[in-house]
Order: sequence, then C-alpha cells, then structure tokens
Amino acid sequence: MTQAEPAGAAALIARCAEGDRAAFRQLYAAWSGRLHGIALRITRDPGLAADATHDAFVQLWQNAGKFDAARGDAGAWLVSLARYRALDLVRRRGREVLGHEASVEQADSAADPLRALLDSAEGGALHRCLQQLAPDRRQLVVMAFVEGLSHSQLAARLAMPIGTVKSWIRRSLLGLKECLAP
Amino acid sequence: MSGTDEGPEMLAAEYVLGVLDAAEAAEAERRMAADPAFAAEVAAWERRLMPLASLAAPLSPPDAVWARIEASIGAPAERAPANDNRRWFWPAATLASLAVAASLAAFILLRPVPPPVVAVLLPAAGGAPVLVAVAEPSGRVKVRATSGIPVASDRDLELWALRAGATRPEPLGVIPPAGRETQTGLPAGTMLLVSLEPKGGSPTGQPTGPVLYAGKLATYN
Repeated sequence: MTQAEPAGAAALIARCAEGDRAAFRQLYAAWSGRLHGIALRITRDPGLAADATHDAFVQLWQNAGKFDAARGDAGAWLVSLARYRALDLVRRRGREVLGHEASVEQADSAADPLRALLDSAEGGALHRCLQQLAPDRRQLVVMAFVEGLSHSQLAARLAMPIGTVKSWIRRSLLGLKECLAP
Repeated sequence: MSGTDEGPEMLAAEYVLGVLDAAEAAEAERRMAADPAFAAEVAAWERRLMPLASLAAPLSPPDAVWARIEASIGAPAERAPANDNRRWFWPAATLASLAVAASLAAFILLRPVPPPVVAVLLPAAGGAPVLVAVAEPSGRVKVRATSGIPVASDRDLELWALRAGATRPEPLGVIPPAGRETQTGLPAGTMLLVSLEPKGGSPTGQPTGPVLYAGKLATYN
C-alpha cells in the first residue's frame, strides 16, 4: 500500500459521502500511512494508534457529507480526524501516567527538522514564521503539536515550571498568528 | 473556567496545539458546539498549525486496521459482532461504562415497571450521564434529561437512532427541554445519538452538528 500523493482528496471525500466504497478505499490507500504516523507519534502505542486510525476512517466514512471543500483543505481535515482522535484516546487513558521517554527530539539532530513543512505553501509560511521564534520556543511549540504533549507533560519533559511553559506557548502562538496574518 | 484566563482565542489555539488536559479540552469542545464564533476561531488555528502534522513520519497501519474499518462500516446485511464497541468512533467511554450501571440501576428502581431496553447517553467529551432513554415493549421510546442541558437559543438538540450495522442514523426528532417520547420500534443494540442542530432540527435528515451525547440501547435484566 503506497502512500500516493494526496491530490484529489476532496473529490474522493465527496464520493464517500455518496457511499462510494472504492473512493473510500482509495483515500485509505493514500492517507492511512500519514494518519497512522500522526496517531503513533501522539499515542506512542501501536494499539492506540491503530484504534485512532480505525476511528478516524470510520468517522471519515460517516461524516464525509459534512466536509465542505469550499471552507477547508481536505488533507487538513483528514489529518485532524486522526490527530484529535489520538489526542482524545491518550487523554482518556491518562497520558500523564505514560512513562515513555521515547524519541525526545530526534529532530534535534537533523539539519532542519522542520524542512518537511516546505512541501506545501501553507507549511512554507509556517516554516518562515517558526524560524522567527527563539529556538527553545520553537522547539516547545513543535514538540507540543507533533507529540501531542500537554502543558504539564511538557513541563516535566523539559524540567521547566508549568507557568513558564504556558506563557512561552501563548506568546509563541500569538507571534505565529501575527506573522501568518495576511 | 480552566485554561481560559487569556480569553477564548488562547483556548482555541491551545486546543488545536493539543496542550490542554482532558477537562480543558472538553471545555473547548463544549464551546465549539455551542458558540460558532469560537468554532471559527478553532478552524482558523487549524489552518495555521495543521501543516505541522507533516512532521510526523508516515507509517502504514497493520492490515488488520483496514479489516476492522470494513467491518465497522459494513452494510446492514453484514453481521457485526455483538457488543463490539470499538466499531464506533464515539469515545469508548461513552459506551457501556460500569460507572453508569449504578446510576442506571437507581433510575430503574424508581420506576414502577422495569422497562426492558434502556440507554444512558453520555457526553461524547466525557462526564456524567445527561440523558436516559427507555424503549418500552410497545415500541415507545422515552428520552429524559437527568439535568438541564444548556443549548444556545438558535440551536436544538436532535435525537437519532443508529441501528446495529447501519451506517446512517435515522432522525427521531428534536428533544424539547422536558424530554421526548417517540413511537418507534428500536431493538437493543441500537445506538442513540444526540447532535446539536440548527433550531428546528437538521435540515438535511442527517446530523449536521457535532454528536454531543451517545449511548447504546441494551436489555436491562
């Protein structure tokens, strides 16, 4: 099952809304790897990641009619299904007790850990704006999003007071918003 | 209100970033359902931040995942395993939790004649039961709120039945504050859902808003 390129996702979603199983299968072939990868990074548990991927695709099938291509990017919608489901599963399980200290920033060793952002126009703008943040704040925001870590988990992971984590994140988010404003 | 001392926009941003704890995230989801301006704020932050998802390396899921998905969306003719709650995308905790049994038992004992098929509808975001549904042998389904449910004045809660094996729910009508009775034969195993809809109910015949509460009808022995 190759990870085909995501073009045409909006049209495939529209066909799913009409009950077209072939379109659903195509979406799965094209997107399951990305969604599963996102879920695995957040849950750090193959079973939970599989649950999140399963749930996201069932939700896709059942809610395809709700997706409005005029209002949002199809890929972002698909990604958000898996991401929110994964976040929900780890919250329910009580992610504060997960002791995994896995993969703390393997990204640090790469020359530009954010270069995957450059593959899309929106990602390119976000990449530029992230570069304007101080490196430690940038790392905090990226780690929070990609690993799905809560304020308190980030504080524990980085040995920082939770108040500092919260205020760094808030200021970074406001900076990103300003930088991304049209 | 937890986590919102910097205003609703920060709550929206932190929700999308994923840093909220369970209670704060549930609060954000409640606001998304009730407040279109807040929902729009969340959507704007999704547009800003969602490209970050491309930083997670793709990994194909095990083949069993596709098999499970196919089983979950199976046509009505396909037989689904009984009590397989994982078929549903609603949080597993909303379905048949043991904690519910206590409140359910209390509810049943107060009734002169125990009804055979009941469902307790829990918030999708987690929390205490808010609605109890009883399917009587006559086919009549009664739905009652266990406490007041705040709904914006331009919205209504609508009840849906998703029969075992079905992929699309059937509308059972808007739920007035005093509860609802509806004449329809619903077997055990049917999932009852409550979604937030425009005033007067969904214009499309399918849920258009978020599913706020869900529970499965089960025979109560």
